[in-house]
Amino acid sequence: MKVELQINNSASPQARFVGWAPSPCRIRVTNPMGTLLPTTSVQLRSVSASGGGAVVFRKDTAGAFAKTLTLTVPTNGTTVSFFVAGKFGQPSTTNGDVRIEARARLNLLSAALTSVGFVPLMVRIRKNAESLTTGERDRFVAAMAQLNNQGAGRFADFRNMHTDVSSPQAHGAPAFLPWHRTYLLDLERELQAIDASVALPYWRFDQPAPNLFTPDFLGVADANGTVQFSATNPLQFWTTDGVQGVVRGPRNNWDPTTQPGPTVITEAQTLAIGTAYPAFRTMEGNPHGTAHTRWDGFIRSIGTAAKDPLFFLLHCNVDRLWAKWQRQNSRFDPAQAASYDSNPANPIGHNLTDTMWPWNGVTGAPRPPTAPGGPLAVSPCVSAPGPQPRVQSSLDYQGVVNALSREGFDYDDIRFA
Amino acid sequence: MTKKRKAAKASRKKTSRTRLSAALSAKQTPKQRVAMLAQAPLAVCESDTNMQAVLGVLRNTAEPTEVRLAAMDTMATAAFSVVAFEPCRNDYIAALREMSQDPSPEIRESALGLLAGEKDGFAQKKLLEGLKSPEKALVRPEKALQLLGYDVHAESYAVARDIVENPPSDTARREALRLLSADARSAPLFEKLLRDKNEKREIRQISASALQALNPTKLQDHARALLLDDSDYDDIRATSLEAIEQFGDPAHVAKDSDLLQSVERLSTTAPPKYKKGAKHFLSKYTR
Repeated sequence: MKVELQINNSASPQARFVGWAPSPCRIRVTNPMGTLLPTTSVQLRSVSASGGGAVVFRKDTAGAFAKTLTLTVPTNGTTVSFFVAGKFGQPSTTNGDVRIEARARLNLLSAALTSVGFVPLMVRIRKNAESLTTGERDRFVAAMAQLNNQGAGRFADFRNMHTDVSSPQAHGAPAFLPWHRTYLLDLERELQAIDASVALPYWRFDQPAPNLFTPDFLGVADANGTVQFSATNPLQFWTTDGVQGVVRGPRNNWDPTTQPGPTVITEAQTLAIGTAYPAFRTMEGNPHGTAHTRWDGFIRSIGTAAKDPLFFLLHCNVDRLWAKWQRQNSRFDPAQAASYDSNPANPIGHNLTDTMWPWNGVTGAPRPPTAPGGPLAVSPCVSAPGPQPRVQSSLDYQGVVNALSREGFDYDDIRFA
Repeated sequence: MTKKRKAAKASRKKTSRTRLSAALSAKQTPKQRVAMLAQAPLAVCESDTNMQAVLGVLRNTAEPTEVRLAAMDTMATAAFSVVAFEPCRNDYIAALREMSQDPSPEIRESALGLLAGEKDGFAQKKLLEGLKSPEKALVRPEKALQLLGYDVHAESYAVARDIVENPPSDTARREALRLLSADARSAPLFEKLLRDKNEKREIRQISASALQALNPTKLQDHARALLLDDSDYDDIRATSLEAIEQFGDPAHVAKDSDLLQSVERLSTTAPPKYKKGAKHFLSKYTR
């Protein structure tokens, strides 16, 4: 007997990525040889490579997850659904470092379970940049460099999405957090199209980062604020607006490898700003703005910030803080007033039901004159938030309120709510 | 807006204003004022009085430099709240332009950095003037060249070429070359620098990167030649390897037996940090 396991309800290898939020999966018997009964009992279990990820299972949309799951599967090829999630605290480091193995008793007289199928997958999680393995780090910088492709690649769209002209779509109003969440997701999906094992890392700007600011990762500034990369780091070819390199130097004698960002409020302080979104979104000033302005160089101003790869790690942490705050206060539901800052006076692009620029393709006042990049990149794993996301799409990123809203990313220190 | 939300908003504003008042008070130590200013960006956008107060600290040369720099950071952070900051923007830019000629070199450099991020024509003109006439320079030539690279104009290229020919310092030459990486006419210069074994390795690395942007095909040719040359430096060969691995044509590379043999040699003779890259390259192309 043989079975087929479909992750994220897809037989495609490209869909074999899970996070902490449950992924819908299916199993079906593809070769019933050796079975005589209309159904057979199949046990699913997680098998991890050394240091690899692990997954857990449950049968239905609710309930506790378990290390194994036994399903009754028809032998006529009909599929049976179940759910898989990454085991919190045990993310993958490489693609396929965990597999789901299906086992069945082939002989009615024997108690032994025999493997009847397996599928390799990855618990793909956004991690603290400080904790990445060398392989994870190298795959991330290589994917970023290829996306940039010496300034001629798809990255140019991302650079052009975040400028002074487009800034009112993304800053200074309630959709600051939703817009940037979507922006990061778009970039991450493009990186995953280059290397599916890549997830965006985040920079904890309230902690020292000795592994991040090295020549092999995001580089080290020289006395002039020009970032130096090692000869083996593909970011040495980084080019934006036609000019090679990254300008980024810590201000006021700050050493980011030994000290947290000066005057940047801590994670605990950020999470204590308030329990309703109108208060919490003031984090756009400190820690967000303050983390930007601890540096000289591109990252210090809106119009140039996205020229620096660090920008995306900084914003990944901003997004993580929002996600952590959401979980702490159960703020996933757009219908709940405290989850957002709805106000009739909000500018366009900042109301829950507004579509977001540039993914909506709308140009001309009050939107910016151009919409670089086209619709949001699709994911082989999830359907949300769709090609033209609305502000409200991003709130329920784990699919807590509606499983179909799951956007396909998770953070290493934030459980499924 | 509900009464509760209005009260919460009023409370946040009050806290923000209190912090700003403390930051402006000379009774506090400079360190305390710096910390308070970091919490005050919200207050800056609330009223013209608040903004003028912070700009007043920035402009006041009698204030400690660290406090003035913190005031500049507060304004720069507030500028991230675009909509709320819009009414302040003109005064902010005017203040930065004024600060670009401040007696303090730190204040000048910081202000010009922010203006460069705004693609400010006034700042660009001053930076160019300083490069052409050093007696008018507001910042070091390498910093001026770096900041001009935020928004390159043809006029900058001529100045950068002159500096490459007669550099006031090695760093200025390097920054001039980085600026020229956007200039199609400079491609032959980068080819020459890349192949010159007597040139500084940093300059050769920038040349490889610039050439990759200006003429990727040429760089692939040069990178291959550098990898085949066992007598060249390992770091330059590592850069060449990265250029081919990340941006080369995989089908073409996989068939290039001379290249693969050369990388094979690199994987056994180079220092460990380069061996790893060579082995990774081989694993990709010799499966």
